[in-house]
Amino acid sequence: MARESQRPDATPRRGVSSAEPTASTARRSIYRTPGSQARVPLRAQGLSASGRKAAPPNATPHARAAFRTIDSRRAAIFTPHRTRRKSLREVRDSPRDFLLNLGRVLARNTQVITTSSSSSSSSSPGDDKQGPGSDDSADELSLGTIHVEDDEDEEELPNRPRLSLPIDEEDDDDSDDLQPHRSVVFDDDNNFTMQSIEMPRRAINEQPGSRFSMGSRMSDYFNTNDMLHSEEIGIDSGFFPPTAVLEEGNITMGVEELSSPERLDSDGARRDLGRESDFGFEIPVGDMNESTFVIAPQVQESPTHPPLDAGEPMFEDFAPLVDQRSDDYDDDDLGEVPALEEESIEIPERDQHEDTVAEPLIAKRAVVHGLQKKSIKVSKHGIEYPSLPPTVVKRLAQTFATASGAKGKITPDAMNSIMQASDWFFEQLGEDLQAYAKHAGRKTIDESDVLTLMKRQRQINPQTTPFALAQRHLPRELLQELRMPPPAVPKKRRKMNQGVDDDEVT
Amino acid sequence: MAGRKLYPRATVKKIVKAHSNCNVSKNADVMIFLDYMLFMQTLMKEAAIEAKQGGERGVTARSVKKVTADSLAKFRG
Repeated sequence: MARESQRPDATPRRGVSSAEPTASTARRSIYRTPGSQARVPLRAQGLSASGRKAAPPNATPHARAAFRTIDSRRAAIFTPHRTRRKSLREVRDSPRDFLLNLGRVLARNTQVITTSSSSSSSSSPGDDKQGPGSDDSADELSLGTIHVEDDEDEEELPNRPRLSLPIDEEDDDDSDDLQPHRSVVFDDDNNFTMQSIEMPRRAINEQPGSRFSMGSRMSDYFNTNDMLHSEEIGIDSGFFPPTAVLEEGNITMGVEELSSPERLDSDGARRDLGRESDFGFEIPVGDMNESTFVIAPQVQESPTHPPLDAGEPMFEDFAPLVDQRSDDYDDDDLGEVPALEEESIEIPERDQHEDTVAEPLIAKRAVVHGLQKKSIKVSKHGIEYPSLPPTVVKRLAQTFATASGAKGKITPDAMNSIMQASDWFFEQLGEDLQAYAKHAGRKTIDESDVLTLMKRQRQINPQTTPFALAQRHLPRELLQELRMPPPAVPKKRRKMNQGVDDDEVT
Repeated sequence: MAGRKLYPRATVKKIVKAHSNCNVSKNADVMIFLDYMLFMQTLMKEAAIEAKQGGERGVTARSVKKVTADSLAKFRG
């Protein structure tokens, strides 16, 4: 209870010297009062107060506070560093951090004020004296270290009138004043304000120029040159002309012209050089004005333009390619006339098979496939190939669909996907058969390869012989075809032949 | 199956030849087409099952597409 009242008194005093003692005041007095650091926390206050220094128990709160501050200082002096730190760790949470934070906040504010005052000092010297005084008081509250700086500021006050007169000298002075603040506080904001005062005269011209030039150069031509540009304005102007020549067509040039006036003063000599002069001139030249400010709009524009330029040739390149492909397709279409004939031949077959099917749909589909799908397909080996006539596929699909219990007709969409699937199937089958044939050292896909494939597909196994499958699915003509080959063919062939024979017999 | 001609043999040969870059022996195409028929059977069976599960009336493009990958994997040599 009493501590609380005491603390506020103690804190401001210590704040000036250092925040450390404030945190540990009460506890340190407890711990360190006896020379041997034996501690009895419960008694602590009584011992500490009465123990050595014999602080009168009846002393006024201010007197107690004074004793404690003394005790704390002694304790701080005598205690080993570790214990100090430990005690600090315990207490750090409350007062010290708070004060530090407060100090930081105040420091920022105060510094900002100082900068403003310094800047304003040039305009109104009378106000400056008041400003720094208030700043100093605030600084004192926050951190002791700042005092030194404040003193410097005070000393410098007479110098300020100089600043207003010669611009160059101002920069140096300001930089000196400001730098210590940065080191102390490490605030980016301060740096900003500090520099911002100086920057605009020199740096603004340079910075935007460099950035924009970077952008424009990046898009257009030389990145390395851009780096140079950022460093030296004169070089920039020198490099600009090529870009400008290229960009003459751009409408944006007028916008760029606006910002040039600042440059005119500095660039007068440069104008004489020629191209630089073009850039330096504001509006009248109009062709390639690239004052530093002007450059910015170019940067925005330039990236857009170069892609367009690049894009156009690209499209042109692509366009012929597309045309070629289309030509190829056309050729394919021409070449596939026989396929069309097949379809036309097959369509009547459908009519025979499927009485109820809407004929027009089938016809359309056939036409579509004939024109598009068949013509487009080219295998990975570069060989064109037709797709199976959709009538055949459709018949198969319809048969198997009904056999597997699906009702209704196969929709055109489903038909398309089935055709796609069958195409993929043949592609995969071709690759597999090729692998088998090559493995066997042949260049021809043999029936044995197909049998091996079917075996691996688990379509053929001891229970289902290829013959049984063929018997089940193939019409007789094809079965006879299978029978045709001479007995030299491998075992399975024989099996099939035998089976066929048996069936025929039966 | 009453059709006089089950499939255009030349077309099948051309297709396989294009994909494999190999010649196709005289009667291999019959077996190839047999394999294709088996594939179609599997595909349509799976598609029909899928369609039934999806509550569709008949075989649709969706069901076929859904089943295509599996069926192709099944017929991978």
